[in-house]
Amino acid sequence: MKYSEIIKLNSDLKDSLDGSHYNVFIASNIMVHQSKEICEFSLRRESVNASVSIGRYDNIVQDSSKVKNVDAVLIFWEVFNFVDGLHYKIDTLTEVEFQNLIQKVKLEIDLVFSNLKNVPLVLINKFSTLVFNQFNLSDNRISQLAKILNLYLANTAKENTKIVDIDKVISRLSIDLSIDLRYYYSSKTLYSIKFYRQYFEYIKPFFLSTVGKAKKALIFDCDNTLWKGVLGEDGPDGIKVYQEIQYLALSLESQGVIIGLCSKNNLEDVDEVLKHHTDMILRDENIAIKKVNWGNKVDNLRSIANDLNIGLDSLVFFDDSSFEVELVARELPDVKVFQVPPKEYEYGQLFREVFNLFYSPVRTKEDKSKSKMYKDQSKRLEEKESSKNIEDYLISLGIVIEVYEDNLSHAPRIAQLTQKTNQFNLTTKRYTESDIKAFIQGCDKIVLSIEVFDKFGPSGLTGVAILCKKTCEIDSLLLSCRVLGRNIEYKFMEIIISIAKKNELKVLRGNYVKTYKNSQVENFYDKCGFNIKDRTDKNSIYSIDVDEFNRDSIDYIKVNHGR
Amino acid sequence: MEDKIKRIMSNIFNIDVESINGDSSPDSIESWDSFNQMNLIVSLEEEFDIELDDNEILEMVSYPLIKLIINSKLDCK
Repeated sequence: MKYSEIIKLNSDLKDSLDGSHYNVFIASNIMVHQSKEICEFSLRRESVNASVSIGRYDNIVQDSSKVKNVDAVLIFWEVFNFVDGLHYKIDTLTEVEFQNLIQKVKLEIDLVFSNLKNVPLVLINKFSTLVFNQFNLSDNRISQLAKILNLYLANTAKENTKIVDIDKVISRLSIDLSIDLRYYYSSKTLYSIKFYRQYFEYIKPFFLSTVGKAKKALIFDCDNTLWKGVLGEDGPDGIKVYQEIQYLALSLESQGVIIGLCSKNNLEDVDEVLKHHTDMILRDENIAIKKVNWGNKVDNLRSIANDLNIGLDSLVFFDDSSFEVELVARELPDVKVFQVPPKEYEYGQLFREVFNLFYSPVRTKEDKSKSKMYKDQSKRLEEKESSKNIEDYLISLGIVIEVYEDNLSHAPRIAQLTQKTNQFNLTTKRYTESDIKAFIQGCDKIVLSIEVFDKFGPSGLTGVAILCKKTCEIDSLLLSCRVLGRNIEYKFMEIIISIAKKNELKVLRGNYVKTYKNSQVENFYDKCGFNIKDRTDKNSIYSIDVDEFNRDSIDYIKVNHGR
Repeated sequence: MEDKIKRIMSNIFNIDVESINGDSSPDSIESWDSFNQMNLIVSLEEEFDIELDDNEILEMVSYPLIKLIINSKLDCK
């Protein structure tokens, strides 16, 4: 976002937020005017109605004695400008002058801290020497000065005061991008817009924690989020636990952050992993709330917030799927959503960044038992179903299904899908590549394969159906779990019916063969309007007159016929 | 380019794009103070990826002058 856009949005947000102002006063011995818009914007975006005022140039002590009715004071106090041009004058000072300078600043620090002792939050930057000292090979007076004064800050800071390590922000961004020396020499404006953006993102948790806006609950998807792999497909032995993430989550939990799960999975499978998987760090007792089912995540996150009796804006959600991430971001803008990075080594860093959102200045004993408390509470509450319409979202995805009929080049992937797919698989018949080739080349079977595309790109060949002309039967029907939750299965059934019609089949039979893992499709044929013919423990047989198939057509999913 | 300049001015001075014309200057726009002058400069530099020197900054006191200076900067690139 460009700076002028921030200014515009900041002014729009100002009009949209109500409630009392959160007043921030920025005192400095350099010019920091651009910090106003960016500080306000970073807080207003979190629904904190911030109003920033800037003190007079190089009047930190005087300003500190005058501030009234402020919620937070932020101090930019630059070593190089204690005295105009100190960075080039300091080595010409006599030792006495140097010591006097140290004493003078110490006294000023005392005065400032004392003047601000009743302000709820005081933020002061650690004295930094990076900008003008970056080329020095050895310690010099500037770095000695900063060292002495930083120690003094740490020892004299009152409880309301937090010391901000500004060097971390400068390092992340680079010194060159953090400053603009043109403006330093012309108007004592040191820091760049880029710097302020990073800086206020970095310190934002301090402000948010004082207004009760720190995040409270960390909710994870399971597959490819808490562990690598798909539990339902790979089994408990086939998953690789993300231990770094789980250790970090555990440490948050010990500080009073609620950990929860929101995952499309079989609850028993996940419970089994939580209880018995030897690599797991997070255990059942660390998880305060679980929504592990096949419902949509928007509803599940809503009910998590509801059950825990906290706002949606207290939730942080991690998921690996761009589909789920976009859905939640769109439907529940208050929830902070993060997508697991595709590169595994980036996951830990992202997680450490997110850590700050839970920042809380003090941890109490109650915090530590909070997790258990919430857990008890969520047990008491009954799950409520809500039926928020996610169709709008699905429409926006622009889903396209490409259907292939008897495509020989797909045989390897089709065989692989029949062998690997456990969850959305009606009959779970396993076929080899040569089986599939024989089906394709013979004349009794119709082998359908589908590729799914949406605005995020292709999902690849992710669905298979095998129809048997002689017996009018759906021999196999399966979908990779990658594409579930988008009503693709129902569109696929429409396709199957139309292909059956094309082949002059009057009736179509379907079969659900129960396995340990495919309970989610137990009622799939019922939902498609098939009539049940026979049902045993293991097996349900359905049929439908193809002309009677009248499920409402899903017109937001387009179908193309591939070759 | 003119659209970009107008959009930036509109954002910073909180005025309608349509109201910006050859007469637009600190005299006709109330919110065009020294603080917003700085915001304007920073935003123009960011938008056009240029660096303005002190003289150019001082000269940027009307919409036509801004256009002129940005144009000459972009020609030099």
